[in-house]
Amino acid sequence: MWKQIGGREAGQIRPNSFSNRVKSNRVSSLQLSNYKDIVSPHRGAVNSLQVDLTEGRYLLSGASDASVAVYDVQRATDYEGGGLIAKHKSIVVVDKQHEQGHKYAVSSAIWYPIDTGLFITGSYDHYVKVWDTNSTQVVMNFKMPGKVYRTAMSSLATSHMLIAAGTEDVQVRLCDIASGAFAHTLSGHRDGIMTVEWSTSSEWVLVTGGCDGAIRFWDIRRAGCFRVLDQSQSQLGRRPPLLERSALNKVSMSKSSSVGQNLSAKLRPQQRKSTNGNGIKQSPIGRIPAKASARQRLHPGMLSGQDRATAHYGAVTGLKITDDGMYLLSAGSDSRIRLWDVQSGCNTLVNFETARLQTSKAIQIATSQDPALVFVPCMTAVKAFDVWSGKTRMAFRGHYEYVNCCWFSSQDQELYTGGSDRKILVWSPSRLISDESDGESMKDQDNWSD
Amino acid sequence: MEDERGKVRALIEMATNSTEREVDPRLLKAIKSVVRYSDPELRLAAQALMDLMKRDHSQVRYLTLLIIDELFMRSKLFRTLVIENLDQLLSLSVGFRRNLPLPAPPAIATILRSKAIEFLEKWNASFGVHYRQIRLGFDYLKNTLRFQFPNLQANAARIQQERREREIKTKEILRNKFEILGQNLSTIKEEIQSTIDEIGECLDIIRAKEENMALAPLDDDDFEEFRSSELRQIRLDSLKEGEKVHENNDNTVVFDALRELYKLLMTKHMGSVQESISVLIRVEVPDNRLRDSMLKELIDIRNRLVSVKKKCEESGCALATNVKEEEEEEEEDFWEEGKIGPTEKGSSSTPSKPKQKLQNLAVASTSGEIKNEQSDNNELRKTDSNSPRSKLLSEAPVVEWGSFLGNWGLDRDFMANQRGLELDNHWGRVDYDAVIPAEKIAELNLQATFYKEEPVEIQPCRAPLRKGGLCQRRDLKVCPFHGPIIPRDDEGNPINQKNPSSDENPIQKNSLIDDETPLDLGSDLSEHLSEQLAKQAIQNVRGREHEEGKKRKIDKQSLNRAKLAKVMEHNEAVLRNAALASTSRSEAVGEDIEVTNGKKSSTRNKKKTLASMLQNKVTTKDRLAQRLLNTRARGATTRQLTMGEEDTYRENFPNQW
Repeated sequence: MWKQIGGREAGQIRPNSFSNRVKSNRVSSLQLSNYKDIVSPHRGAVNSLQVDLTEGRYLLSGASDASVAVYDVQRATDYEGGGLIAKHKSIVVVDKQHEQGHKYAVSSAIWYPIDTGLFITGSYDHYVKVWDTNSTQVVMNFKMPGKVYRTAMSSLATSHMLIAAGTEDVQVRLCDIASGAFAHTLSGHRDGIMTVEWSTSSEWVLVTGGCDGAIRFWDIRRAGCFRVLDQSQSQLGRRPPLLERSALNKVSMSKSSSVGQNLSAKLRPQQRKSTNGNGIKQSPIGRIPAKASARQRLHPGMLSGQDRATAHYGAVTGLKITDDGMYLLSAGSDSRIRLWDVQSGCNTLVNFETARLQTSKAIQIATSQDPALVFVPCMTAVKAFDVWSGKTRMAFRGHYEYVNCCWFSSQDQELYTGGSDRKILVWSPSRLISDESDGESMKDQDNWSD
Repeated sequence: MEDERGKVRALIEMATNSTEREVDPRLLKAIKSVVRYSDPELRLAAQALMDLMKRDHSQVRYLTLLIIDELFMRSKLFRTLVIENLDQLLSLSVGFRRNLPLPAPPAIATILRSKAIEFLEKWNASFGVHYRQIRLGFDYLKNTLRFQFPNLQANAARIQQERREREIKTKEILRNKFEILGQNLSTIKEEIQSTIDEIGECLDIIRAKEENMALAPLDDDDFEEFRSSELRQIRLDSLKEGEKVHENNDNTVVFDALRELYKLLMTKHMGSVQESISVLIRVEVPDNRLRDSMLKELIDIRNRLVSVKKKCEESGCALATNVKEEEEEEEEDFWEEGKIGPTEKGSSSTPSKPKQKLQNLAVASTSGEIKNEQSDNNELRKTDSNSPRSKLLSEAPVVEWGSFLGNWGLDRDFMANQRGLELDNHWGRVDYDAVIPAEKIAELNLQATFYKEEPVEIQPCRAPLRKGGLCQRRDLKVCPFHGPIIPRDDEGNPINQKNPSSDENPIQKNSLIDDETPLDLGSDLSEHLSEQLAKQAIQNVRGREHEEGKKRKIDKQSLNRAKLAKVMEHNEAVLRNAALASTSRSEAVGEDIEVTNGKKSSTRNKKKTLASMLQNKVTTKDRLAQRLLNTRARGATTRQLTMGEEDTYRENFPNQW
């Protein structure tokens, strides 16, 4: 530690790498925090957690008892145990008593990405609501055709204010906060949509995972989805360096043509429409020649609706795009986690050592950037896997029932987890030795009487 | 190192392989001492304990949990090791997961659960601050699963709090009392001083008179005017003892005053002084000097009071007896007086209602009075033996001595809380007026009398023995060697042989043969013969008559018996029929009971093992349930219902079916 600081002082270590080193050090020592308690007001399973993206200070949680709460994770409301334990009580609570509150379980609660003045909740009572944080009043109301499983807003968006909502219904709806209406209805899934996720590299790209096991990529400027992930399409390991890629592309090209699938999207950037059109023309011929005439009338973008490729056996329960927007992690009810290369749309065949995943509910996955870790709720524990190797790095056991969601705050290097046991736990790096030794040594010692 | 490593595991295995409710303390100590000095051992122990917790037997888990608690409270390392798997530990010990219930036997499983919850509470109280996991587990069980925690800590705290409040309250009261005392002390002192002075004056007057009186005994005539000869003697005796002041018409007023003052002193002042001393001793005030000085003063006053009391008693004794003697003289009935005495005693020794105080003026200490009574009795015994007392004594029942004799024939209520003990505040407030009613006292004093067999001197057999001498065996009626015990002369010959012929029992004969005195009593026999024959004849006739009577009786009985037998036969037949109708099941039940009994006894005989605890015992409840659910039982009940019609018949002939 001191050596690194010395190196930084001397200019041997670049600021970026220095901070990364410190961060990764801290992340590797994550453990259940004894000095930070979040006092959950929820009386049901915590379904969703998010720390705001602007300040990294306010934690938003949504729970099955139709309540939503906001906590300040930086400043504690009161202390306990001689100042040893900081209690973070909720500063805003919206529950059933609230006249505009949700009736049924809140499945998803997210911050408005630009500031903390708004937050959006989706609930099993078919509504997506936009709340003013300061007045805790509903600003906007979207009625959905079914239970809302997940909502998402793009963190990069500068030109739109769309809430993507995954519901029981087969269509993904984009709710426009600016107009208060549905801007898009994206159809293609054959079953309810469990999870939605905006790309972190392009503000137009949306990824959705459905109960039919498909993961679809949508470009909201165009009709239809432009890519369906197929678990059988795979590449080994990380994306090969640029030089080797051309060679590899040829191989996959020939493969794809033989299979007769729409693989063009993964071969070339999606902006290049001409090649895309080629692929579309190719694929149907091999597959369903009898219905060729009917297909001719379909819009080229809608053709992907015919694609029944699956990313998971069973439902896709969780999606997370890494911070650089290059990889997609997906969790399914087949207890698998897959790492997809967004660029190529291939399954990278990383074997994550999950034992079991919760199958009935959508789960929320978190990633950390620098030691590339993915935090996945595995039944009652949260496991941290190495993204590239799939090895279990850490296991966080603390919840007494299933864990539903987790959020990694990269600013504080803290992990927040929420479970069906109504608790929100904070996992933080162990404190520096200097501040640890004062309180604990007083009481927590060996006490041998004989 | 390897055998060392195995050691703690073996110890733990041994400790948990038991059917007891406690871990063997020696093993526990051994485990602790092994684990204390070596961290790897401790890790191993934690591992072993967690493994044991997974064992499918509640008893093992229970004992393991006890060991875990012991180590948990002591070692920090152990805590950190256990904490990591706390949820697992809790699910194994509390069994809150529905898919992981606690294993058999259920009785121990419930104990295990309650113990685990108790431990968790304890851990949370002592280490919750340092371990989030404990807090989490506690919170989860308490608030989410709503387990009932014993709440030991809170209860203890509440009790403590209550006690503290009570103490504060009593202190407050004491302080108030102290303040009041501080204000009143001077007046109390003055009052006491004045009474003491008055008593002193009274005593002085009496003494002065006494000196005058001392001349009186010389003047016999004057003496005899108002006293009988016996009492004169008593007087002389008492005067010889000296110092006794007596009351007469002249000094009655003075004595009355003295008695009253004495009473005042004893009841009011003594009490108040005692009380204030106790207050001073108990009170806590910042200024100790004032308190000490007050205490000193009060103790002085008390000592003075005691000395005055003694003085009074010295004079008062004589005074009381005088009163009594005069009364005797007037009423001429000693035993009536005996009843009055104790009541006076009681009223003087116990401060009762003020009215009584005024009425009963006899001032005397109890001991003095008793002494006097005794002396009176002695004197009476000496002087006249024909007095009613001796007559009564002759017919009076003899009773064993006991403390109840002190209250013999007493008919008054008893003060329950005035026995000279300072009862205040030991058991809360004391009701000084509490009374045990006289009937209750009598009931309590009821003496059990035991029948005592009067010692009977058993006569020796005294039959002559072959080797010479007489048989010294003492039997009540029959000597096993020499037959019935009969009066014999010095040589062992029976003195009075009434009817050897009719009596002729073989033992008698034997004894005769043994004696080897072949009928040298013949002459005696011939002499008695006629007499005996007559007797025999009479006996024979009587015997026959008797026998005839017996026969008649027997005949009657046999008739009756035949009737009964008939009825019984009928009953039995009916029973047999009923049994045939419903037997198979009841038989089976009987067998069942036998079988289970056998099982029970066998398990009891077997040494208890962990495996045996798992065996399900067939309880009575099970059996009853089994029986009730049976269709056969249902059939039996319907049959019983139909049989209800026969009830009228049965009532007419209750002993027949």
